[in-house]
Amino acid sequence: MSSLLLMRDIDEPGLADIAVYERRGGYKSLRKALAMTSDAVLAELDASGLRGRGGAGFPAGRKASFLPKGDMDKYLVCNADESEPGTFKDRELMQKSPHMLIEGIVIAAHAAGVNHAFIYIRGEYEEQAKILDLAIAQARANGYIGERILGSGVSLSLVLHRGAGAYICGEETGLLDSLEGKRGNPRLKPPFPAIEGLYGGPTLINNVETLATMPHIIEMGGAKYAKLGVSGSSGTKVVSVSGHVTRPGNYEIDLGIPSREIIYDLAGGPPAGRQVKLWFPGGSSAPVLTAEDLDVPYDFDSLAKAGSMLGSGAIIVVDDSTPVLDVALKLAKFYRHESCGKCTPCREGTNWTVRMLERIDGGEATPMDLDIMASVQDHIIGNCLCVLGDAMAMPIGSMIVKFRDEFEAHLQSRQLAGAI
Amino acid sequence: MSPSNGGGAGFEYNQELGGRAIPRSRDGSRSPGWDDPVDLDKDPAAVPDPALIDVPPELRREFEEIIGRYPERHSAALPVLAAAQRHHGWCSPQAILQAASVMRVTPGYLTSVATFYDMFELAPSGRHQVYVCTNISCSLRGADELYAALEAAVDGDPDINVRHFECLGACDIAPMVSVDQVYYGPLQTSDAERLVADLRAEREPLPELALALRPNADAALEEDEAAK
Amino acid sequence: MPRPHQNLITFSVDGREVQAPENMMLADAAKLGDVEIPVFCYEPKLGHPVGACRMCLVEIEGIPKLQTACSTAVKDGMVVHTQSERARVAQQAVVEFLLINHPLDCPVCDKGGECPLQDITFGWGGGKSRFIEPKRHFRKPLELSPLIAIDRERCILCYRCVRYSQEVAEDYQLVLLERGENTFVGTFDGHPYVAPFSGNIIELCPVGALTSRPYRFRARPWDIEGSGSLCTLCPAQCNVTFTVRDDRVLRVLARDHHEVDDGWLCDKGRFAYQAVHVDERITAPMIRDGGELRTVSWERALAEATSGLRRAGAKTAALAGGGATNEEGLLLGRLLRDVLGSPHLDSRSGGAVSLADWRALSDPALAATVSDLEFANAVLVLDCEPVDDAPILELRIRKGVRRNGVALLLASARPSALDPSATETLRFAPGRGAELAWALAAALQDGAVDAPAAAAGASAEEVRKLARALREAGEEIVILYGEQLLDGDAGGLLALADALGIAEIEGAGLIGIPEAANGRGLREAGVLPNGGPGFSAPPLGDGLDAAAIAAKLGDGELSALYLLGVDPLRSFPDAGAWEQALEHATTVIAHAAFLTPGVREHATVIFPAESSAEKEGTVTHPDGRVQRLRPAIGHPGDVRAEWRTLSELARLLGGAAGPATAAGVSAELFASVGLYNGLELEELAGHGVRWPARAPAVARSGEAAAKPKLRRAAQAKGGRLLLGSYRSIWAGPEVEASPALRFLAPRQRVELSPRDAAKLGVLHGEEVLVSDDQGELRATVVLRDSTPSGTAFLERDLARDGANRLRGPLVEVRTAPSGNGDVETLLGEEELTHA
Ligand SMILES: Cc1cc2nc3c(=O)[nH]c(=O)nc-3n(C[C@H](O)[C@H](O)[C@H](O)COP(=O)(O)O)c2cc1C
Ligand code: SF4
Ligand code: FES
Repeated sequence: MSSLLLMRDIDEPGLADIAVYERRGGYKSLRKALAMTSDAVLAELDASGLRGRGGAGFPAGRKASFLPKGDMDKYLVCNADESEPGTFKDRELMQKSPHMLIEGIVIAAHAAGVNHAFIYIRGEYEEQAKILDLAIAQARANGYIGERILGSGVSLSLVLHRGAGAYICGEETGLLDSLEGKRGNPRLKPPFPAIEGLYGGPTLINNVETLATMPHIIEMGGAKYAKLGVSGSSGTKVVSVSGHVTRPGNYEIDLGIPSREIIYDLAGGPPAGRQVKLWFPGGSSAPVLTAEDLDVPYDFDSLAKAGSMLGSGAIIVVDDSTPVLDVALKLAKFYRHESCGKCTPCREGTNWTVRMLERIDGGEATPMDLDIMASVQDHIIGNCLCVLGDAMAMPIGSMIVKFRDEFEAHLQSRQLAGAI
Repeated sequence: MSPSNGGGAGFEYNQELGGRAIPRSRDGSRSPGWDDPVDLDKDPAAVPDPALIDVPPELRREFEEIIGRYPERHSAALPVLAAAQRHHGWCSPQAILQAASVMRVTPGYLTSVATFYDMFELAPSGRHQVYVCTNISCSLRGADELYAALEAAVDGDPDINVRHFECLGACDIAPMVSVDQVYYGPLQTSDAERLVADLRAEREPLPELALALRPNADAALEEDEAAK
Repeated sequence: MPRPHQNLITFSVDGREVQAPENMMLADAAKLGDVEIPVFCYEPKLGHPVGACRMCLVEIEGIPKLQTACSTAVKDGMVVHTQSERARVAQQAVVEFLLINHPLDCPVCDKGGECPLQDITFGWGGGKSRFIEPKRHFRKPLELSPLIAIDRERCILCYRCVRYSQEVAEDYQLVLLERGENTFVGTFDGHPYVAPFSGNIIELCPVGALTSRPYRFRARPWDIEGSGSLCTLCPAQCNVTFTVRDDRVLRVLARDHHEVDDGWLCDKGRFAYQAVHVDERITAPMIRDGGELRTVSWERALAEATSGLRRAGAKTAALAGGGATNEEGLLLGRLLRDVLGSPHLDSRSGGAVSLADWRALSDPALAATVSDLEFANAVLVLDCEPVDDAPILELRIRKGVRRNGVALLLASARPSALDPSATETLRFAPGRGAELAWALAAALQDGAVDAPAAAAGASAEEVRKLARALREAGEEIVILYGEQLLDGDAGGLLALADALGIAEIEGAGLIGIPEAANGRGLREAGVLPNGGPGFSAPPLGDGLDAAAIAAKLGDGELSALYLLGVDPLRSFPDAGAWEQALEHATTVIAHAAFLTPGVREHATVIFPAESSAEKEGTVTHPDGRVQRLRPAIGHPGDVRAEWRTLSELARLLGGAAGPATAAGVSAELFASVGLYNGLELEELAGHGVRWPARAPAVARSGEAAAKPKLRRAAQAKGGRLLLGSYRSIWAGPEVEASPALRFLAPRQRVELSPRDAAKLGVLHGEEVLVSDDQGELRATVVLRDSTPSGTAFLERDLARDGANRLRGPLVEVRTAPSGNGDVETLLGEEELTHA
């Protein structure tokens, strides 16, 4: 049985209201954190072993400690852009427990010495934005944000900023440009945001779930949190399961349980009579795994060892009723549509890939085209400005490798159909 | 700039293309202009002088309130454009000029930003926005068919703007739609007609499918277990 | 602002040990070892690298991923491979990606033969493409402006052009639209990209996507030659390369000089070359015969001029302007003073400044350089509008503000294009720059500010605020001022410089923008009523300044006027007085390229003037840099060198025969002008020489500081407005004569504040009459929110209805009775018969 932290009270009626949240013990962790020095809070975060829940899995405590000390304006940006296909955990957290996120933001801001915070929420989440706006106003009225929070020396402003429909704004530097009112093009790194981010100032960027976990870490203590999950992947994780399963939804698990348990026991597995053909363990950007990989433990390192990644923690299951080509084409079109266009390999490579897949679909390709397509993916990987290009090239590349037979069979059947 | 007095003869367009607009890619481009020459009779589009742009007072107040939230005024670009779009129905040149005049930026700046993001309408658009997620998780559960059914049900009604969208972050209710920014799902193809009828009747569409009503998946799991 | 200081380090690239300044970008540092790394998006002039095109991927030992050389700073001991298998595969991949949608229409592309995309494909591409899908297509080419064509198929989305528009010119008109592979370069709602510096994007574009409309299909790279010289259309004197084919100028390109232009050109400099080859240009001598101008031989014209001048003798006056060279100035001074015995010559339209003040102003200790604008703590722009008065300096100021955080402080009568970049702006009454300088000086010394501020028509509080900002900005302050500030009095400016201690501070200084392109050189060559060459005492004593010359010609005390490249009727204040003067003069000799009104109506002898593409000689930049003009083409028609004509006239009038070559005249200039002693033509080649950098500081005589001379600013009253005027970047006969630029030639517009317009009951875009007791003109109303109430601004130096028709200080603005408002360019059709 999994521990419930983030989801413990999730369906408590009225949880989005500050009174209910406080009644359930909310903002106690913040009081506790404010009574500690920022270094002590940082130490708890570090001890917890919490790794970022947004995609890259970078240790959260370490990242917060990268911000320089000093009196300059420093920023925290909560990444609530959640646009990775298959991912919908942040939505549920924000919608049902907005104060947990706000509490986490203030704790993280205190730890990193930040005085201005923003929540960058994707534009499509209007319902959630309204809920958050209300929650922020309540938190401000109750003294949890603003000047000298709860009488401490910590001050923090918090602004909710709505995006307007662009996946690339989930990439942290694209997000910063977008928040600065520009096109959401990723920036060159270095300089890293911790040194030079929003408005050129030191900036900490964390995912909603990462921040929402922080009150629980402070509440139970970093060391105790670190005992949850497995070594290298401590704690619990909200996993979004979708696609060909009978009970799609968010499930909070202890990291390290077998993936099969999530897909079958929690999400109900594929509909009766169908088999898992392939699955994305961490959103559509993760290389695909097959039925053979179902027993891989669901944690950062095991999934990496299996040739994929935990990513945003979104499992998409595709069963044997769907041709792999359809999946590849959907995906490639998505990345082509979302490529910001700034760098060459991603802009042109996603387009070229779509065009080749369409030709394969139309039966006008030969196996040599599969080789060219694989080589195009190779030419994208590692050569782009940000990893959006890789996010297409890795799963598509993995599909060509793992399902080459199916692609070739498809080519043949189309050619036969053409010949008749 | 003084009106052009003979800046130059127009170009001969490529005969082969017969002066037609050429779709740039199969998906086309949402913003007009990529296949048109500029209008040489227009003035260059500098930062609009406030003396020359009328901004409705309530819209100006909204713009100014938004700008005031940020340490740097440019940050207001997205919410200001969204407000302008709400007011004008789309990001019309006039809407952009008004926003640019209050933000003290060029209209080009705002157009460039607006065309980057999917939620800005760059051509006149219907009163109701229906986004259909057709990304992977939804399409595995019938989104493409749903999209086709909705298009058919709308049947060209300019009041209802049906667009396919990338993953809207609600794969748990796949296939789903966002109607005027409210999420509903899962839908059957057969719900398309009713959704459109509700919109035309100015009723909340498919109220029982609203995402806001849905409990967490664990609850469903418990129910299932209990049923066993 | 300290300039970047550089440490040398050693790194290795493709096996070579190379020394380079630490933190230089690898793409540049590799060049020091003769290793070329291909780049598209990288262009240091555009600011920080963006790493977008990925062309420059290289392998660096110890870093797992390939790195972009354009954005990687070199460090000591770095080991770089640009030709390793991995690097080559990546470079070929990027070329292949870039060519996917490129039309490869090189045979019909203007860029062919001088195209980085061709060169890089050849050098670093894989030589084949595996892309067999149909390419995307655009209609092409399309107009982006009357000057620039865009071919979107060819665009490789390197973003150079839009970054330029946004981060260098800061006009933010050219933008990217759409996203991903749909991205394209465009503008708001089909508006043309028209801006003072738009043409630079043509040179920046590494493919044939942005081309010059006037140059399209005029030549192939192997037909043309480049010839380095200067643009002398304004005081900025940018360095240029003329593209020449068959003795015709077909194009002007920038010739990067960091201390002058930073590699940019304004559109006037880039496109006005067309005026060299138009039919309207005067290419043969003319004389007035029975009231009509008639083309004649040189002998006849020279004889006519000689006899006119001989008759007038000491009653001759002369004006020099435009792009007249230092040598021409020297020879003109000799002709007037030594041959005709007249002390009356001027190169300025404002009131004379004392010789002592000129000497003080040209003290090397007070001199700033152009690059000081970029690194100062603060730049004070005082009574000038850089984009109009010396356009390229505006880009330099913007660069300093944007990249180095220079504080920009602005004091001007008319709202400035730089206002949005300024930390402090102050408005004062038109023509009261000198008073404002006195007020600022007083504020800096905690003296009495009220009186001078009131005289300047500025608020004393704002003057104090500006002074505070100056004091707090730091020591290195550069003052960029307009020559109009020196209308009879340089005392305020000198007092201001003293108050800031500019003479003692390295990196601080003054730069004055003269009204004529070579105003500084002409002054230094002695074309002043009260100063000989090098500010020596004038041999015949003080002569009359321009305004006095007009008056004395008008009442007959002077009888001949020699105009070297200037038409006072068009470009000097008080056209009424000049009308009188020209009417009464018995001899008017003009060196002119175009029949501007004064020349057309009043010249008795016209010598066809050289264009800057034909001239030989030197000019002096506002920062004291003596630069060399070299002829790019031969003289068309019967045009002769100005210096030759001036020498010839002197000889015919019995003076000494001067040197026989242009180089000889330059040598005499360097010998006669003390400031230029020791210069040699050879060393001016390429970059010129700043004489103040070699000269010792002038010990300022400890004389008591001058007493402020304060003229009170008039005030709007009785519905009448204060008259202000300015000369736009687009003013001038060259713009009107260039077919490509003509659309920019200004028509009179009167700028009003919305408050005044409402009171007067006139609307934006409406035709009005602006008048005073002197005259009346037609103008179109332009409302600007930032125009100070009570003031009306008009343009100077127009083909008609120029602001100099009015004398001010108050004018009346009223709705014009409906007229046809026809535009008529300066060169009326019927005047073209001489060609
Ligand atoms: C193309 C792309 C899209 C991304 N989208 C998101 C997103 O929607 N939400 C998110 O939290 N992180 C997203 N990320 C990851 C962020 O860049 C960043 O790593 C994360 O916000 C850091 O927060 P964390 O350390 O708390 O995980 C995305 C990354 C890429 C490359
Ligand atoms: S038009 Fe030229 S300069 Fe502009 S992005 Fe395209 S290739 Fe680059
Ligand atoms: S030149 Fe380095 S990425 Fe473009």
